[in-house]
Amino acid sequence: MTRIDVHELTKEYGGTRAVDRLSFTVEPGRVTGFLGPNGAGKSTTMRLVLGLDRPTSGTATVGGRAYASLDQPLRRVGALLDPQAAHGSRTARNHLRALAASNRIAATRVEAVLDEAGLSAVAGRRVRTYSLGMRQRLGIAAALLGDPEVLMLDEPSNGLDPEGIIWIRELMRRLAREGRTVLVSSHLMNETASFADHLVVLGRGRLLADTPMREFIDTQVRPRVRIRTTDDAALGALLDGHGHRAVRDADSGRWTVTDARVADIGKLTARAGVPILELAAEEGTLEEAYLALTADATEYTARPARTTTGQEASR
Amino acid sequence: MNATAVLHSEWIKLKSLRGTAGSLLAVLLVTVGITALAFATIGRSEADNAGAEPVYDAFYALNFGQIAAITFGATAVSSEYVGGALRVSLAAVPRRGLLYAAKAAVVGALALVVGVATSFTAFLVGQSFLGPYAIGLDRPGAVRACLGAGIYLALMALLAAGLTTVLRSGVAVLSILIPFILIVSFVVGDVAGGAADFLPDRAGQQILHEHPAGTLGAWSGLAVCAAWAAAALLAGWWSLRRRDA
Repeated sequence: MTRIDVHELTKEYGGTRAVDRLSFTVEPGRVTGFLGPNGAGKSTTMRLVLGLDRPTSGTATVGGRAYASLDQPLRRVGALLDPQAAHGSRTARNHLRALAASNRIAATRVEAVLDEAGLSAVAGRRVRTYSLGMRQRLGIAAALLGDPEVLMLDEPSNGLDPEGIIWIRELMRRLAREGRTVLVSSHLMNETASFADHLVVLGRGRLLADTPMREFIDTQVRPRVRIRTTDDAALGALLDGHGHRAVRDADSGRWTVTDARVADIGKLTARAGVPILELAAEEGTLEEAYLALTADATEYTARPARTTTGQEASR
Repeated sequence: MNATAVLHSEWIKLKSLRGTAGSLLAVLLVTVGITALAFATIGRSEADNAGAEPVYDAFYALNFGQIAAITFGATAVSSEYVGGALRVSLAAVPRRGLLYAAKAAVVGALALVVGVATSFTAFLVGQSFLGPYAIGLDRPGAVRACLGAGIYLALMALLAAGLTTVLRSGVAVLSILIPFILIVSFVVGDVAGGAADFLPDRAGQQILHEHPAGTLGAWSGLAVCAAWAAAALLAGWWSLRRRDA
């Protein structure tokens, strides 16, 4: 088993609780997105799992064992914590060689992960000459070095160019397909929505949600239907008559029906014979769902409060 | 975890850092270079002095070489405290004692090899300029001084490595140790009398004398120096073990 198990994990720094009685499990075979506002405890949790910081109480295990007790841990768990971790005056190749040597990983793996990360051509250059994106690729290469069953990546798309973002997304999807356990923290909602199957959401060090992504969005954001007609009066009366709450945008002529599904609205208008020009589902986005959930838990909310989305504002 | 593998890893880390490898090489180059300069110019007139002490004087340049040795020990460790380097190292080798011991072993071993090579080379190079005043390795205390100087250089590197682990900064350690060795020990030594003999550099350098004077003898002085280095290493170990990385 290669699950990451976090149980009643608590970490205090001085008087503040960075992680507060946190329990969740990261399962293999899927990408788990690790979300939360800045300071929610995502990075701290990852450091606790890796045994870098000592928990105040509780446990964090990988495959049932404490990380520090693993023999040759790089072959079991690959982690990306900080793109600045490689020393600037070392070459990328030497950085990886030193890591490989400590866990008796073959030197051929060094070349393989350099190639995978697209760094082969620059592997002999000092890391100080690298851009943030290249350092990030090196950090990901280091995480892949031991061909681990478990990957923990803290903000992996940080600093990557669009091509790099697609690369890391495809990489994570592939790793999960291969049956590995993949935990990825991010603050980019659209990014996370593009690769995560499952979500673990933190706020102020506490668990706010641990659910499949689709389910998370559906419970947080009610679905909407967008509809346009040639007969606004008929449509308005029809929707009202069936208890749907709908608003018409005067500029575009579009109606937005809240808390409804296209299947229902489509049937309804067809039966009533209302002519339809456009009918579309507006699924909630991860961003909306996330903001709805963390509104209370955000530690550093800007005042006045966050901007609401257009649809919410029109209600 | 396999100790040989971790030693190998630490060896790759050290040799791939230009500044650290450079400062190790500087131990040899600086000591031998300054020896050659000094002995070629004022060597004979100094050797002619009434107070001349041919074995001890042969290691005049050690004062400069030890700064390179301290720099080597400090930078070898401080590279772990740049960015999140230590986290990566500890993720690869979570047994902190093993990681630390391997690093100290590689630093100590390299400094010892280079240190002994430095002291013998400097001794022989220096004497080659002295003509009629020259002494050989057969002079009583000469081989002991050469070996002792090499060990002393390794101990200073380890002292710096231990302190750097405590302070987590190479700059902090260098700005404490170098002034200490160049000035404080020198000044305090003459004022405070007996107690100053137990400072790491003064105690360790007893072995350079043909006839060590004072409280500590040649080997007991070096043992006091080693105790300082051991204390610094233990403090470093304690600090690495209990802190969050």
